[in-house]
Order: sequence, then C-alpha cells, then structure tokens
Amino acid sequence: MKDMRMESRVDSTVNKIEARKVQVYYGATHAIKDVDVDIADRAVTAFIGPSGCGKSTFLRCLNRMNDTIAICRVEGQILLEGEDIYDRRVDPVQLRAKVGMVFQKPNPFPKSIYDNVAYGPRIHGLTRNKAELDQIVEDCLRKAALWNEVKDRLSAPGTGLSGGQQQRLCIARAIATQPEVLLMDEPCSALDPIATAQVEELIDELRHQFSVVIVTHSMQQAARVSQHTAFFHLGHLVEFGETGQIFTNPKDPRTESYITGRIG
Amino acid sequence: MSVAMLLAVIGVLALTGFVLSRQRALASAGGNSRALHSLPNYYGWNGAIWVLVPALAGLSLWLIVQPMVVESRISADLPAALVADDSARALTMADVRRVAGGLDQAVAQGAMSEAKAREMSTGAVDVRAVLANVGVALGSNVSPEVLSAAQDYRAMTAWGAAARTILILVLAVAGLFWGVSRAQQDYRARIAVERVVLGILALASSIAVFTTFGIIWSMASETYDFFTKYPIQDFFFSLTWSPNFRGNSDLGMIPLLWGTLYISAVSLLVAVPIGLFTAIYLAEYASKPVRNWVKPLIEIIAGIPTVVFGIFALVTVGPALRDWFAEPLGLGNSGSSVMTAGIVIGILNVPFISSLSDDIINAVPQSLRDGSYGLGATKSETVRQVILPAALRGIVGAVLMAASRAIGETMIVVMGAGAAAQLSLNPFDALTTMTVKIVGQLTGDTDFASPETLVAFALGMTLFVITLGLNVFALYIVWKYKEQYE
Repeated sequence: MKDMRMESRVDSTVNKIEARKVQVYYGATHAIKDVDVDIADRAVTAFIGPSGCGKSTFLRCLNRMNDTIAICRVEGQILLEGEDIYDRRVDPVQLRAKVGMVFQKPNPFPKSIYDNVAYGPRIHGLTRNKAELDQIVEDCLRKAALWNEVKDRLSAPGTGLSGGQQQRLCIARAIATQPEVLLMDEPCSALDPIATAQVEELIDELRHQFSVVIVTHSMQQAARVSQHTAFFHLGHLVEFGETGQIFTNPKDPRTESYITGRIG
Repeated sequence: MSVAMLLAVIGVLALTGFVLSRQRALASAGGNSRALHSLPNYYGWNGAIWVLVPALAGLSLWLIVQPMVVESRISADLPAALVADDSARALTMADVRRVAGGLDQAVAQGAMSEAKAREMSTGAVDVRAVLANVGVALGSNVSPEVLSAAQDYRAMTAWGAAARTILILVLAVAGLFWGVSRAQQDYRARIAVERVVLGILALASSIAVFTTFGIIWSMASETYDFFTKYPIQDFFFSLTWSPNFRGNSDLGMIPLLWGTLYISAVSLLVAVPIGLFTAIYLAEYASKPVRNWVKPLIEIIAGIPTVVFGIFALVTVGPALRDWFAEPLGLGNSGSSVMTAGIVIGILNVPFISSLSDDIINAVPQSLRDGSYGLGATKSETVRQVILPAALRGIVGAVLMAASRAIGETMIVVMGAGAAAQLSLNPFDALTTMTVKIVGQLTGDTDFASPETLVAFALGMTLFVITLGLNVFALYIVWKYKEQYE
C-alpha cells in the first residue's frame, strides 16, 4: 500500500502512528473490527464513512479518550513512534499532551481567550515566565489565524466569540501544548462555509508541523485537505490509501458506492 | 345563601357553560369539529371561564370589602369614648363581633327568636347570661352601646350576604350567557383560553411577591413602634443584652449579632468543604453504583428534623467537645458552645450543599471535560480549573442557601449553644443568636406595647436585612464571574 502514496503534496512517508488489529467494544457491541492503519507524519489523514461507522470511535482510541467511558474496551496494538500507547506504563494524561484533540462542537472553557490558550502550557509547565507564556499564546493564536481578530481583547471570555472563532480558539488551545499529532473530530460540522474555509486553510498550514487526523462527513472536505483517506463502514476499515486514488479509482465497490452517493 | 352554597351554584353554572358552549360551537360548524377554529373542548373551557372568572373575582372582592365597610360604619356609630384610640377601637370591635356571633349562635340553637335577637335591649334581658347558656362566654356585662352595635352589625352582615348572593348570581348567569353566545365557529377560543392560563400563572407568582411585601410591611410597622419606645442607637450599638420585663432593659443587639455570625461562620466552615468535596466525588469520581447508594443516604440527613439534630448536639457533640477539647485546652467547661452548634448546623447543611452542587456540576457540559482531558489535564486539574469555575454560579447559590439556613436555625442553637447572650471569642463558650432571642421575647406572657416584646420585630427586621444583603452580595459575585456556555 505504501507505494500508493506518491503524490507530491506528501511531505513525508514516515509513519507516526501504526495501528494493528484494533478492536473496540462498547459493552457487548463490537464497534471497531480489525482495523489496521498507518498515520503518516506531517500529513493530513482523513477518516470518512457514514454515521455510526466507527470513525470517531477509532479517532478517540488514538489519544485514549475512550478511557473516560467506563464501558469501552480497546484491544490490539496502537504504536505512537513505535511505542504501544495502551501499554501499562503509558500515562494517558501524558499521551494526550502529545496527541491533541479538537472536537466537533467548539468547546472553549468559560475563561478568557488568553487563559483558554494558556491552559495546556500552564498545566504541563511548558513556560518559565509570563513573557514566554505570552509568546506561546500569541504564536498559537497566529497559527490558528485568530490573532488579528482577538489581539485587543485577550481578556474577554472565549465563549463570547462567534462559532468559527471559537473553533479556531480550540485549535489554538490544542496546538499550545505542542502536540505531535492533532486529532480533529468533524471540526467544521458546526461552522458556516466561510469559517469552514478558514479552518481548512489552517489545517493545511498545520500539516507542516504536525501529523493531522481529521474525521469528516464531507467528502469534498476530505478531498480538499487530506493526503491519505481511510474509508470506514460498519466498524471495518474498508479501504485506505492516498486521497487521490480513493476518490478517483477506489478498489472496493463499497467505497465507490459511498463516494458516489449510493450508500451512506 | 352561604358562601359554600354559592360556590356550588357557580360550579354547576360553569359546568353548564362548558357543555352548552361546546355544543353550540359544534352545532355552528354543523357537527364537523374540523371546521372549528379550535378544538371543541376549548369552547367548553371558554364558556366555563366566563362563568367562573367574573363570579369568583366578584365574590372574593366582596368577601374582602364587606367586613371593612361594616366595621368602619359600626365604629363610626359607636360613642367616641369607646373608640378613643386604635387599641380601644380594636377591643370594642372585638366585643361587638363576639356579641353578634353569640346572637347568631343563640338563634341557631333556638334559645331566642330572630325577632328577639334583633329587638332586645340590655335593660330587659341579661345578654351575658343568655349567651353563656349557648356556649359563648363573655368577659363582662354587655353595655347597651355594644349590644345595639352588635345588632346593627348583624343586620348589615345579613343585608350584605343577601346582596352578595344576588350580585354573584347575576354575574355568573350573565357570564354564562355571554360565554355561550361567543361559542361560534370562528371564535378563537384556543387563544382566549391561553390568555386565561397566562393570567392564572402570573397571579400565582405574584402571590409570593405580595406575601413578601406583606411580611416586610408588618415587621416594619412594629419595628417603627419599637424605635419610638427604645433609642435606636442603643439597639444597634449597645454591647449588652439583658431584657427585663419590669423595665430598664438593655436591648443591644451586638451580642446576638455576634453569636449569629460566629455560629454561622463555624457551620459554613464545616458544611462548605465537606459538601463541596462530596459533590465533586459523587459527580466526577464515584462509579455509578456508589453514586446511586451514597447520594440518597446523604440526602436522608436533609429529612431529619432539626430538633433531632438538637438532641445530637446536646447529648453527644457538646459533651464530647467539652471533654476532649475545651477542658484539656483550658477553654472552659461548658457543654453548650459555639463549636457544638456550628458543627451540628454544618452537618445539617452538608446535604444541601452537596446535593445542589452535584446537580450543578453534572450540568456542566461533557464537552468541557473532554476538552480539558484532551489537552492532557488530570481529573483534579479539570475539576479545579474548568468545572468549578463553570459551576461557580450555582455553587455560590448553594452556599448562600446554606448560609441563610445557618443564620435562621433556632432549635440546634438553643440545644447546642445555649441562650446566654454574650460577646466572646472563645469557640467553646455558650453563645446565642438573634433567632433564639426572637422566640424568647415572643413566647410566654407578652405585652405588645412593651419594648421587650417589640424588640423581636426589630431583630427580625435586622435578620431580614442581613439575609437580603447576603443575597445581593451573591448576585454581585455571580454577575462578576458570569460565565456563559451554550
């Protein structure tokens, strides 16, 4: 499969995350079945598929967010740079600092814009003084293309921003912990087309520094922002490959049916 | 016709209005309910409302106004000597009402004829003896003025009752006709009913507001009375509280205020951390089975009567604190103490704070927790930095509620802290609070003209102002830390 990733937009072919034979159970329900996936470093990987196909569940395995759900059980192996993240010695809290996450609905904390972005650096002790923290906050807001809109009101509540601004604030907050991987769970589903375009542009910028994994319902969005695409259906990974190939020359008939709109 | 009878008649008329309006509306649409603007029952309700609202409103107005009119006319006819001032007037009118009631009783039991009750005079009959025979005991002989006033009172009341019956029946029947006449196909009965529902809801909420104003008014007038009899600066600034019903009392509220604040502060120091930590444990850490067991168990505390807590304070906590802390530390040997009452009131308040805070913490959106965990925060970091700030508003409300309860608590203070009004910093000294002294001053033989009794109202008013101030302060906190999430 590796030889399929030849497109020039791909900056790297190094795998950041390798998942093997991943199974997820919610109580008695078998939600993810035998998923093998390689997430490339410094590239955008999109997960597509109909609702309930398990793509968000799988995404949440990558930073062990499923640990917060009592009935959820994960089997198989997920390696982040060769280390099993489900190993007993791995601290999920540390892991989540390395694998950041942006959620479907913008969820800024009920704090100021500044404190929202400074949240991660503060709890992880990434800065030694106020000046460094100020610098991180400014850098992250700039990277999230929000700095110019909020630089005069950093002490205003983050919840007072518009939906698109809130989502960009959440992205700034996620990248402030200096993660290596950024997981995005349908980050644009609550946004209008203009805000969506801004966030997509931002994702394209971010892939130069991070490995980005995005779950999306919009096939156009997957085609626009990603270099690799994985198609999930009923808990199975049906097809995984370079984005251009998935959309123009799918191998599996189910993938073809989905992208042409016959199922889903 | 009696009021109960009148209500029954109104009820029957309303039912008639319901049935007739419904039928008439259906008939106007040719029996096809889909051609009506509203569902048939709305026409029925509309008909019933037109009977009920005017008749019941008229009746309640009449029942309020009639006694006022009768009393003012009777007291205007009484000789000036009997109604010299307000208290004399009240006494005389009480006599008049009692005699009139006695005459009613006598006529009802057949001890005298209606005509005799109307005509008799004190010269011919010993009214006191006659009324005593029918079970109405009077404190003194009936004077001719009071008897004739009572006879006038009966006559006017009887006339009023007749007029009331006629007026209300006219209103109800007119309402019936009007309501039924509106029941036409195009009449928007649904909207009319909706307006009445709004009116009922608004009325219900305004009753609570008016009651509050009523309470303030009654306390304010008595408080004013108190300050005309006792110097205001002595009440607020004197450091001694020693009421003396023979006069020469020292009624300084400072020792009571001190006791109230001291005991409340101790109770909050107990209740807030325990309650809040319990809530955090239950909402964020406890597994579902644990939570389902522990939460109801904690809430049982809220159902225990405070007097039972008082017993606990008196026989268990008080002696334990005295034997293990106060005496070894050389801080006195009193079983009743600030600590005893404060700790027990604090325990009483734990379920209030924990239960309310638990609900509030649960209402914080899961997305905020996810956001924090997703950034690599631990549970306690998430609780401290995201959940508690988001829930602050509600938690302040819960703490305020606990504070109000602590300030208002009486039983536990009597049994746990005693009734000694003094200024002391020692937490193992007996102290008392304003509420205890309000009870103390108002129970037993009371003379509502003496400052020793009226001081209770001034204390009540002060308490009211303190709790109002607490509320305003809480609103300010909430406003200052106002956080909004969707």
